[in-house]
Amino acid sequence: MTKPNTGELDPQDNAASEVRSYAIGFIVSLLLTVGAFAAVLADLPSTWAIICICIAALLQIITHLRNFLHLSFSGGQSREDLLLVLFSVSLLAIMAGGTWYIMSDLGGRMHDGGEAGHAAHAMPDR
Amino acid sequence: MSNNSNLYPGLNLGDGHGEAHEQAESTVFGFWVFLMSDLIIFGILFASYASYLDPVGMAGGPGPQDLFDIKSVAIQTGFLLLGGVAYGGVSLAMKYEHGRARVIGWLLVCAALGAGFLFFEVKDFITQAGKGGTPQVSGWLSSYWTLVGLHGVHVFSGILWILAMVAQIAIRGLDEVLKVRLSMLGVFWHFLDLVWVGIFSFVFLVPLA
Amino acid sequence: MSGQTSPIFGNLNWNVTPYTDLLRDVNSSTIVGAGAASVLVLGAIAGVAFLTYMRWWGPLYRNWLTSPDAKKIGVMYIVLALVMLARGIIEGFVIRAHQATALGTLTAQESGLVAPDHFAQLFSTHGTIMIFFVAMPLLIGLINFVLPQQLGARDMAFPVLNQVSLGLTAAGAALVMVSLLIGKFGTGGWTMYPPYTGKIFSPGEGVDYWLWAILISGMGSTLTGMNFAVTIFKERAPGMHMMRMPLFCWTSLCVAIMLIYAMPALTVSSLMLVLDRYADFHFFTNASGGNMMNYANIFWMFGHPEVYILILPAFGVFSEISSTFSGKRLYGYTSLVIASMSIAVISFTVWLHHFFTMGQSAGVNIAFGIATMIIGIPTGVKIYDWMATMWRGRVRITAPIVYLTGFFLLFVIGGLSGIILANPSIDYQVHNSTFLVAHFHNVIIPGVLYGMLAGIHYWFPKAFGFRLCETWGRRTALLFVGGFIFTFMPLYVLGLMGMPRRSPTFQNPDYMPWMYIAAVGAVLMLCALASLFWTFWTSYRNRLSLAVPGGDPWNGSTLEWSSPAPVPEWSFPRIPQVTARDDWGEAKRAGDPWKAPERYCDIEMPANTAHGLLIAAAATGLGFAMVWHIWWLAILSFLAIPGLIALRGLRVIEPKIITAAEVEEADQRFRQQVASLAPATRADEETERNRGVPDISEFAG
Repeated sequence: MTKPNTGELDPQDNAASEVRSYAIGFIVSLLLTVGAFAAVLADLPSTWAIICICIAALLQIITHLRNFLHLSFSGGQSREDLLLVLFSVSLLAIMAGGTWYIMSDLGGRMHDGGEAGHAAHAMPDR
Repeated sequence: MSNNSNLYPGLNLGDGHGEAHEQAESTVFGFWVFLMSDLIIFGILFASYASYLDPVGMAGGPGPQDLFDIKSVAIQTGFLLLGGVAYGGVSLAMKYEHGRARVIGWLLVCAALGAGFLFFEVKDFITQAGKGGTPQVSGWLSSYWTLVGLHGVHVFSGILWILAMVAQIAIRGLDEVLKVRLSMLGVFWHFLDLVWVGIFSFVFLVPLA
Repeated sequence: MSGQTSPIFGNLNWNVTPYTDLLRDVNSSTIVGAGAASVLVLGAIAGVAFLTYMRWWGPLYRNWLTSPDAKKIGVMYIVLALVMLARGIIEGFVIRAHQATALGTLTAQESGLVAPDHFAQLFSTHGTIMIFFVAMPLLIGLINFVLPQQLGARDMAFPVLNQVSLGLTAAGAALVMVSLLIGKFGTGGWTMYPPYTGKIFSPGEGVDYWLWAILISGMGSTLTGMNFAVTIFKERAPGMHMMRMPLFCWTSLCVAIMLIYAMPALTVSSLMLVLDRYADFHFFTNASGGNMMNYANIFWMFGHPEVYILILPAFGVFSEISSTFSGKRLYGYTSLVIASMSIAVISFTVWLHHFFTMGQSAGVNIAFGIATMIIGIPTGVKIYDWMATMWRGRVRITAPIVYLTGFFLLFVIGGLSGIILANPSIDYQVHNSTFLVAHFHNVIIPGVLYGMLAGIHYWFPKAFGFRLCETWGRRTALLFVGGFIFTFMPLYVLGLMGMPRRSPTFQNPDYMPWMYIAAVGAVLMLCALASLFWTFWTSYRNRLSLAVPGGDPWNGSTLEWSSPAPVPEWSFPRIPQVTARDDWGEAKRAGDPWKAPERYCDIEMPANTAHGLLIAAAATGLGFAMVWHIWWLAILSFLAIPGLIALRGLRVIEPKIITAAEVEEADQRFRQQVASLAPATRADEETERNRGVPDISEFAG
């Protein structure tokens, strides 16, 4: 664990930049949240709305990691933290993606008699 | 971010805090590892929620359109986001030694905002149960209650943890050990925000879109 | 357990013990059940009486149960595992004995030693115990003991948390043990697939015992994984780069990663089943939109990495012993590191091969089948590396090497049968047959069991100061090899003949010759178990002639062999400065490895605490209360856990200080002893001349 040489930073200067970091994080998160909700409330086609929500969520997660959890994305930090997050995300993608892949395939074969049946049976209770 | 001696996730105490900063390196890193494990739990629940989100999974019970109140979700999101930012107050007050009272004050603000979030969440749950949306009705509702409920339980334990920290600070004073614990709590509190971003986006908004 | 729930005793009543069954109907099945319960009760009474007679309660509490020392925690894990191993092997024997008598006829279909329901409990507990309470504690224990010493660390990163993990594992084991006496265990196999294990088909406490044992011990394992990972990343001795770590540390890191990311899946699947059973949720029910296939999906997301959690530490052990007992450097260090890490990552992408026949389309099966075959490649690389390590070495046929040879021969067969099963179309033919049973025993026994027993034999002197008897060690190893061959090779044949696994009875007389052979094998396994315990006992009796105070009985090359045996609590008088891979071997090559440090300083060790013990008690109470629906106790125990943590948080905890003078005294005594002992050559390794100081002129590796 080599610690990078920080040099002498003026603590007050540092504090101001940290407050700014939280403020930026808050404003960006707020805007992204409002955007996501607006996408639902506006009369967008649902595919577009879902794409907007996903992008907003992704950006907001990055903002949180960066501004609130202070995970730096450009060296500086001991790299283990970032690697850990990336590794976790990739395993999560394997697990969640795999689950979705397997279960939707099974669901398709169990309930609807094939891919084509899926649309025909949509929302029978409504 | 000009401070480039970040050793662990969350706002670092910095070299000025000597031993606590070093101890925090392994402790907060360990806690972050644990949260990654927690993240997998949420991830699998998200995937299950998605796989139950179809007419078969809803089994003729009420669906997202019938149950979700987008306004309340927005209020909850606001509470949690503000709560997350408020923890920045705790971290900064601790790092720049603004004194015990400031730290405790910010902690209580966090706890209050968390409690506000929980109030609206529980209110939603009660309304949904009233509309026939109990978890016993369908696979989809089971997964919805489990996923969102588990996050709620996390927030609740976060509040308990905050209160425990307030008690500890009051009794022990803000010593090195507590600084490390507060750093851990901060990582936890921000992590809950992160999960909530996933929840409001994929649990609430996507089915409504 | 119908009837109403009492507010005080929950569903408990006098009819839940196996003795009631025995009184109701005396037959071989109830006699076996009551016998097992009696062994448990008498064993517990004998244990308590023995401890009281020897006045060992105090030392046990002070030196072991409250110790946060990773080495002691490791030993306790292994003791727990060996106790559970005894039960698991005996159950395996009863399973074999039952099937050897289970040939029914078309008119009288049911036959055999135990009743079908009892048989189902046997294979369920056997699997649960062997995976969760034998294999896991064995490997976690071994890692706990070895890892900090190999890394040159004082202790784990979080010693008290380590104690809590041990407590949670022990709590889970206790629940499984209690199910022998109070109530019944589940009958759904070690995987407990719903909907069979849902409330409708399996009312009663059986599945709940499994669920709570798994949830509680699983929590412990997650925390352990986190502890290992942080220890490896943050607590290495100065100079110990990642690529200087001994291979056992690398495999421990893989285990840690897999524990961290795989255990949550088990937690989720068990938690969902708990909600289904206790709160009428519909995750896995047949009705109301539940989907039981999701259980298999989530469970095996844990289950497959788990297989590699089990096997990788054994690979680490084999890497160490193949090098040490051949007197050579490990061949292909980098390739072994890469292979281990690839296994750890690829193991997350193959889980579907456990349910090829569940009904997904061919494309999905093929994707996972290919991933499964790919994971065979790094494993193959490792086998070649170990063989190349031994090639032209001066191999001493010690007990670990007997295990290693048995592993070479048998594990390859098991691995190849796995590659066969990885082909979905073949899997459709042999799935759910005893072919599969033979396959996974064929990888787990030669892999995990041999590896862990070899590791115990190898590191035993470090923990207790004397070697294990080589003669009995080799006999044990050979009995385990022979027992394995006789027990499980017939199951391959039976599987290809079409015999389903877990059959309580069958009507095909052609199975019988193979059944008898397997039963003979089970007898050999029992002998191996007895021989294992005899090895410990006879070595203990001859501990003076087997003593190795010099601490390096095998002429090893990793850091842990530099300290005395038994190793002191602080492991190293000063944290070593590492300059090379296999630093101790490097010091030997440079001459005079036993140099005293220039000066000594105070050592801070974590203070003893009963925290882990109390949490374990609360967790056991919680599990038991939930199984029997004793709500007040459940609430009380549940609140006790955060309460205990909060109380500990309020106190300022001072570490235990070991003064420099004390360390210096002990260390100087050790150095003088080493100087006074005659170095033993490798030829003398098994004789009394081996006092733990090797002839370093012989050190080539």
